[in-house]
Amino acid sequence: MSHRISLFQMIRRSIMHRRARSLSALLAMTISAAVATALLTLYTSLDAKLHHEFRGFGANIVITPAKGEKHFADGTLDKVQALAGPDANAAEFGYAVATTDRGTPVVVAGTDFAAVRRLDSWWQVTAWPTPAETSSALLGQHAAQFIGDENNVQLTFADRPITLHGAGRLNTGGDEDNRIYMPLASFTAWTGALPSVIELQVPGGAAQVESVIGDLRKQLPGIKVDPVRQLVEGENRIVDKTHALMYAAMILIALTVAISVLATLSASVLERRRDFALMKALGSSTIHMVGLFVCEAVVLSIGGVMIGYILGSGASSLISQLNFHTATMPRLSVLPAILLLNVSIAVLAALLPVRLLRGLQPAALLKGE
Amino acid sequence: MIMMVKENLAMINPNDLTRPDCAVISLKEVTRDYSGHAGKVCALNAASFSIVAGEWVAITGPSGSGKSTLVNMIGCLDRPTQGALMIDGVDVASMSATDLDRFRADKIGFIFQQFHLIPYLSALENVMLAQYFHSMTDEKEARAALERVGLGNRADHLPSELSGGEQQRVCVARALINNPPILLADEPTGNLDEANQKIVAGLLKDLHAQGHTIVMVTHDPEMASLAQRRIALSHGKVFCHPVGGAIVPIR
Repeated sequence: MSHRISLFQMIRRSIMHRRARSLSALLAMTISAAVATALLTLYTSLDAKLHHEFRGFGANIVITPAKGEKHFADGTLDKVQALAGPDANAAEFGYAVATTDRGTPVVVAGTDFAAVRRLDSWWQVTAWPTPAETSSALLGQHAAQFIGDENNVQLTFADRPITLHGAGRLNTGGDEDNRIYMPLASFTAWTGALPSVIELQVPGGAAQVESVIGDLRKQLPGIKVDPVRQLVEGENRIVDKTHALMYAAMILIALTVAISVLATLSASVLERRRDFALMKALGSSTIHMVGLFVCEAVVLSIGGVMIGYILGSGASSLISQLNFHTATMPRLSVLPAILLLNVSIAVLAALLPVRLLRGLQPAALLKGE
Repeated sequence: MIMMVKENLAMINPNDLTRPDCAVISLKEVTRDYSGHAGKVCALNAASFSIVAGEWVAITGPSGSGKSTLVNMIGCLDRPTQGALMIDGVDVASMSATDLDRFRADKIGFIFQQFHLIPYLSALENVMLAQYFHSMTDEKEARAALERVGLGNRADHLPSELSGGEQQRVCVARALINNPPILLADEPTGNLDEANQKIVAGLLKDLHAQGHTIVMVTHDPEMASLAQRRIALSHGKVFCHPVGGAIVPIR
């Protein structure tokens, strides 16, 4: 047995002696640290993850030709893609109104199916046409009702007929359901129309979208570049509200833990009044006793942070995997904030019951009164 | 040594008891009031007496007579509302709380009825705790203090592994470790069986013989009879002690 009496030694023995009480405080601190770690870890990667999720909702910028122009100049899509960056998704569309074999007018869109598939991953499609199938089409679920045979789709544009093979059906719940999509090259060859709309999806929040819009307007003068306001602003609102929700959750949890730790430490002070009275009788100053008690709470909070950080990092990774389908790596950068939060809770929770120590009547307590 | 102390005590002039320069403890018109819901309560009322170095005094009185308040005062755990309280030549009534803590660690050794050992520290560490709050720990000295009370072989035991008598001896060793001039014993044998009472009484006798000043609060007439002088309290007033008279052994 070691016979050195030091502050650390006394704190260690005291914690070990009151195992149940110490475990209760340690558990509260661990939960606080774990929740704060999970929330902060998710918070730091939340923007990226939410923006990634929003990418699934399609384009956030729509580009149309300059006023008076019916279509884009050659190479516009490449320029847009270069300006928007390699992470952006872009697809161009050409539109024409054709007539079905039943004599119903229908909007036909020519596009690059591979690009649309990346851009509009939220579309519900029974089967995508393959790039090799130059005459295959994607039929909007409403448009399909005006077609006699989906395997033999006969359309006419300006007296020029074309026969397409319906590869699959499209269901978006929007205007797309009324259209027939076909490969852009076949579309242009049939109708003579060139692409007149580029839909662009830029990763990131409103600021990044606005920045790309500015670049596009500057580099491609005359071309009309508009954000899809409801998507960009909706995304922003959701991100802001999620941030606020996480802050509120963290504050609520911190308060709950503070109350729990306060209750535990208050009970601990009451339980140990005689020990403190004895220390006072042996010449300890009130500051020394307060220091001892606060140090004990801080040691427990540091223990809680260490365990909580590991548990919280694991929890954030699991939550991320379940909700965003990507793992979140533990972030050491959140550790100082967690440590500060928990130590502050511990010190505040320790200082309130410590007021009891100031009014201690050692002689009466030591006499058992 | 014992003979020498006895001779010294015999040489004390009874009149010295009223002279603060000779007294190790001197109270002059010391009053302690407490404010409560029922108004002001006077726990100690204009108490005046002195205790000279090397004296063994028993403080007696029924519950509520002011014994605890008096122990608080002499033990520097509280300060008087009025009056002068001199301990070892220093007016403790005017000391700051921090100075009083320091002074208490230097001058007073406490022996409690309920021992009050820290349960998670061994006997040796409990003794060293008093050193820790006084200055710095010295295991050799702490072991020697335990040897002195006959517990050299129990130094590494936790309080829960010691009998009541052994715990009280650890408490005595802890009270002695910093060589305080005053030992304040509050019902030192109140929780002990007869055999252990004798052991502790013997220890106190030895300490007195070695020159320690002992102030002992007790209900036990047999323990009180060991003291040289009795100070009786009733309703906060000191009503029986030989002021200016001879040191009258109770027996």
